Amino acid sequence: MRKFRLYFEEQHRSPLAQLWREFARQHSALFGLALFSSFLLLSLVAPFITPHDPYLQADNLLLLPPSWSEQGLVQYPFGTDDLGRDLLSRLLKGTTFTFGLALVTVIGALLAGLALGALAGMSQGMKSSFFNHLLDLILTIPSLLLAIIIVAVLGPGLANTAWAVSLALLPQFVHGIRNAINEQLKKDYVTAYRLDGANNWQVLTRLIIPNIWEKIIVMSSMALSTAILDIAALGFLSLGAQAPIPEWGAMISDSLDLIYLAPASVAIPGLLIFAAVLSVNLVGDGLKTAMQRRRES
Amino acid sequence: MINFLLRRLFLLGTVLFGLSLLAFSLGYLFPGDPLQNFSGIRQLEPQLRAELTAAYRLDHSYLSQYLAFLNRLWHGDWGLSLASQQPLLSEIRQVLPATIELTSYALLVSFLFGVPLGILAAIKPEGYLGKIINTITVAGYSLPVFWWALLLIMVFSVGLGWFPSGGRLGVLYEIPTVSGFMLVDIFLAETPYQQAIFLDALRHLALPTVVLATFPTTVMIRFVRDAMLEVWEQNYIKTAKAKGLSRLQVLYRHGLRNALLPVIRQIGLQFSALITLAMLTEVIFSWPGIGRWLLDSIYQRNFPAIQAGLMIISVLVITVNMLTEILHTFFNPLARKR
Repeated sequence: MRKFRLYFEEQHRSPLAQLWREFARQHSALFGLALFSSFLLLSLVAPFITPHDPYLQADNLLLLPPSWSEQGLVQYPFGTDDLGRDLLSRLLKGTTFTFGLALVTVIGALLAGLALGALAGMSQGMKSSFFNHLLDLILTIPSLLLAIIIVAVLGPGLANTAWAVSLALLPQFVHGIRNAINEQLKKDYVTAYRLDGANNWQVLTRLIIPNIWEKIIVMSSMALSTAILDIAALGFLSLGAQAPIPEWGAMISDSLDLIYLAPASVAIPGLLIFAAVLSVNLVGDGLKTAMQRRRES
Repeated sequence: MINFLLRRLFLLGTVLFGLSLLAFSLGYLFPGDPLQNFSGIRQLEPQLRAELTAAYRLDHSYLSQYLAFLNRLWHGDWGLSLASQQPLLSEIRQVLPATIELTSYALLVSFLFGVPLGILAAIKPEGYLGKIINTITVAGYSLPVFWWALLLIMVFSVGLGWFPSGGRLGVLYEIPTVSGFMLVDIFLAETPYQQAIFLDALRHLALPTVVLATFPTTVMIRFVRDAMLEVWEQNYIKTAKAKGLSRLQVLYRHGLRNALLPVIRQIGLQFSALITLAMLTEVIFSWPGIGRWLLDSIYQRNFPAIQAGLMIISVLVITVNMLTEILHTFFNPLARKR
């Protein structure tokens, strides 16, 4: 390190570095990020690290209690279910279905919402007002109800759940992105860029998207927590993932009739859903606070 | 104000139009025979089929079918339930009050707890109290409602036995249905055991209300806290302080009045989430409301009922939304300009 600074230099961090600095100051947000990354990693590598086959039914080991009780086996840390399937392996595998699928649906809804939101935000007049009314209509219908109706039309199943949830998330993305674009379009620097001869496409890609992407990430984090809860809820109502698939919500409803015999098989999947949603909410909250503090500083 | 009301009315019209269009198209989108989806009659004899096709104008264009559909809706002929062969509208009339009762108590709880806690959290946002409340709210709105309900049942019904695990009233008591709202009906009923029944109904209400109120309460706390913090930064608060008002006076006369205004609108926005959560809560606590009825209809592939349930719930949500927005505008002159 140099001891003396000959010239007075003003240090400017990039906006991203400032954001990270404010984000890293919040312990809860960092904890959320760590939890989120581990869920992300698990959902990618889950099929390779399960200690047992999640679908294998060991009929000599039915309803084995968790390993911390007297009768448990250490090879089956959380015990087995009523068909003798290892609970830990099923939970690990379930990360892909609940968390991973939620991530995929949110990314799908985000991309579609970005296209439609840009279309709605950049257009004016009749087209945009028609769009507004359509969105107002869909936004009034609760997202889970919309998903349930879509599942009722398409029929239950994991793939249909994904379609239903991403379709149900789409309106709020379009709405949020359109509002964010409208807000940016009013600013002077957009006018200046237009006076330089930029067309709509250039304004959108070079000015607006770089300026709203942080907002979009916060929006996505809220959508992701909704998506996890909706997928799990549909699984719980047995409208989503069907019987052998170890989706967390479906696992809870499968072991519901065993709740007196094996309370852990209801408690642990629920705890995982809670942890997954919590991690997403903590990251989203941390980002929001960090953005606010960066603006103030 | 009149202008605003007219615009809202126009918007309401458009939304209802779109909703009816969606409900109409569901008759074709659902698997099965459109005629059966619209009428809900299980056994369609050839003669009845011909009559209904003529009455529903299924042999005409889609536009004329839609107009016939609207006409039927208007006259209260919503078709029959495929499962029970009863008129749908009377079935809905039986189950809807239970849902409204449960959701309104949950809203009340969220209001009673959410507002004071939000204000408390805003007094010192970085202090211990603020941080504790903040942590609880983040945990609260991450809870999957069905798991939370099961946990509470495990602890309070199965473990401690304090509250019943489902239903609206113990099987010992019988209350004639007048309004459909349990507490009102008990009040109207002439029985010698009124007080005991009332307590029993309250015990049945306790767990579902707590489960249902968790999400809106936490959202309310955060909302009030953020609104309060924002108002506290405004210039008129500084002016009020400079005039020499004490902290409490500033809070009551300037802070609360401005911070709590958007809360009215928040109630409307919450309502849609609340109805969704109510559906899950009703399933778990076997609460005979519209959510459980709708989910049962889905399991039974009772398409006319799904269609009617969608319309009723959406109209309910839209109306509450609209009403709270109008109320908000009525109280807040600044919102009228937009």
